[in-house]
Amino acid sequence: MSAEILLGLILASIRMSLPILFAASGGYFSEKSGVAQIGLEAYLLIGAFTAAAVSFQTNSLVVGYVAAALVAAAFAQIFNILIFKFKANSIVVGTGMNLLAMGLIPIVSKTLFESTGSTPAIDTSEAALNQSLIMVSVVTVLMLALCYWIAEKSSFGLQIKFAGEKSEALTSVGISPIKRRWQAVTLGALITGIGGAILSTYLASSYSPLMSAGRGFIALAAVIFAGWNLRKAWIVVLFFGFAEAIQIQLQNMNLNVKIPNEFIQMLPYLATLVALLLLKNKQQAPKEIS
Amino acid sequence: MMKRIDFSSLIGFFVGVAISSILVLLFKENPGDVLKVLSGSFLQSKFDMGLTMFYTTCFAFAGLAFSIPFKAGLFHIGAEGQIVLSAMMAAVMGIILPESIGTFGIILIFLATMVLGVLSAQAIAFFKVYKQGHEVVVAIMLNFVFAAIATYVVLQNYQNTESQNPESSLIKPAFQIAKSDSLKVFFENSAVSSFLIVAVISCLAVWFFETKTKWGLEIKAFGENPTAAERMGISAKKVNFLALGIAGFFSSLVGLTEVLGSTFQYKVGFSPAYGFLGIVVALLAQGHPIGILFSSFIMAVLHKGASDLDLETQFLTRDFSKVLQAIIIFCVAGAVYLNHRRKKS
Repeated sequence: MSAEILLGLILASIRMSLPILFAASGGYFSEKSGVAQIGLEAYLLIGAFTAAAVSFQTNSLVVGYVAAALVAAAFAQIFNILIFKFKANSIVVGTGMNLLAMGLIPIVSKTLFESTGSTPAIDTSEAALNQSLIMVSVVTVLMLALCYWIAEKSSFGLQIKFAGEKSEALTSVGISPIKRRWQAVTLGALITGIGGAILSTYLASSYSPLMSAGRGFIALAAVIFAGWNLRKAWIVVLFFGFAEAIQIQLQNMNLNVKIPNEFIQMLPYLATLVALLLLKNKQQAPKEIS
Repeated sequence: MMKRIDFSSLIGFFVGVAISSILVLLFKENPGDVLKVLSGSFLQSKFDMGLTMFYTTCFAFAGLAFSIPFKAGLFHIGAEGQIVLSAMMAAVMGIILPESIGTFGIILIFLATMVLGVLSAQAIAFFKVYKQGHEVVVAIMLNFVFAAIATYVVLQNYQNTESQNPESSLIKPAFQIAKSDSLKVFFENSAVSSFLIVAVISCLAVWFFETKTKWGLEIKAFGENPTAAERMGISAKKVNFLALGIAGFFSSLVGLTEVLGSTFQYKVGFSPAYGFLGIVVALLAQGHPIGILFSSFIMAVLHKGASDLDLETQFLTRDFSKVLQAIIIFCVAGAVYLNHRRKKS
């Protein structure tokens, strides 16, 4: 019995951490290239909505995922143009991006489906759920492998890191740091958009308003908590997923001692603050981050 | 010497409104109608005007809470958490204090709420100064933590038993002074209260503080060039704690405006993201305290107007106000930069 619960908990942790895993990986590239990224929430929402709407219309998850990635990446170009062409503050614009996503989605949803709330549910037959599981597994493994390769093995990843740490070095070899940052943000939005797709089509069967529920911020917290180290960030994400899974588990368990929901919900944020308090302050942030 | 007034943010604002109107076409609405609803809905009745004044009050405080740390080079997005936490404090104090202490009780509510507001903002300064935590990250985390604490405290201990909604019970009648507020009575018992006057005075006071007092000038000097300021003997520690402390003070005034001036209770989710709206307000005014008074009124009109879009249009919803805010943020941020570049060349 207890082994069953434990296994269930581990699986639930992994499930719950998936959208954050994607958002953290996406945020990692942007932050590493020197662009502070608080707009992850927006890309998650856009991805979630696009995937749910497109999957419903086309009856194809694959198309939904691809659309989510592309639309999120396209959406991020607003951010890029303002940051790089108009030299706007990335945090100001990031705040705006979150607002824009939150405001735009209900209106688009109303225009398409005559409802500001949830999108119509996608196919939830046994076969469709199995397909969804296979899809998520493949995409996740691919994403992890690809991110690891880009971040640690490729020269592109190295250049992204240089753009964030010492951009003159890039300029001196004839590579534009702006270009690398632009690409890093776009790549990040693309990955985060897929995280949104998982959120609405795998963890749920439709898009519901504000369903990202702060996951974009948790992802950002994970990246920072991990000292801008990709693999450490993934481990932190698993921990956050565990916190979420345990929260659901506790709600179902009818314990005598009630741990209030609010406290479990704020665990990731509190953990980040405690880590800031306890850790030695090595200056790990990318030097040119702004 | 006359300082030329910088209109770039105003131009950005109008460009933003124009782009939003064009966007409206995509949703098969008439931009003219939408603009009419957005700009005109506050004039419909005294009650609507009062509601707009209430938003103006909250936006002005939130704008100040952003603009003062911004002068010190801090990007303060923690007002939202402080507002929620201080509103909780005001409601809880109003519920637990005995009515017999009368006016003294009201003073206590004010003091406790303000102190909590100041301290909750200075928590950011603490992480910034002693732990080199980035203020944005710390503020985001604290926003979530404070919201969770406020919700927990209210729902666990002070839930209004007569209501299905997550909200606290009403504060004691003796503390509901705003009920007889002449401003409120004039606007047909709308949400507005004398806090509006406090907001106007606050903007003037901050203008005086920033231009005439030593501390205000130190904050500005530090924000413009931290290294030089520190060499001149201005302590980074002091500037951080001072600027964020003042910000927290104004955040707490938003909470007080809500609880003591309008609803007399803590409603979970009462804030339409005042903390973030404050950023828009402050950016639009380019941080000028008197400008904040005007920009908060403009934003209040739009905010009030957007809430009527649900009724007046077929596809647009109140969410359009968020789109509008976002586009205004983008355009103002862009226009300010373009203006600086033009001046340089």
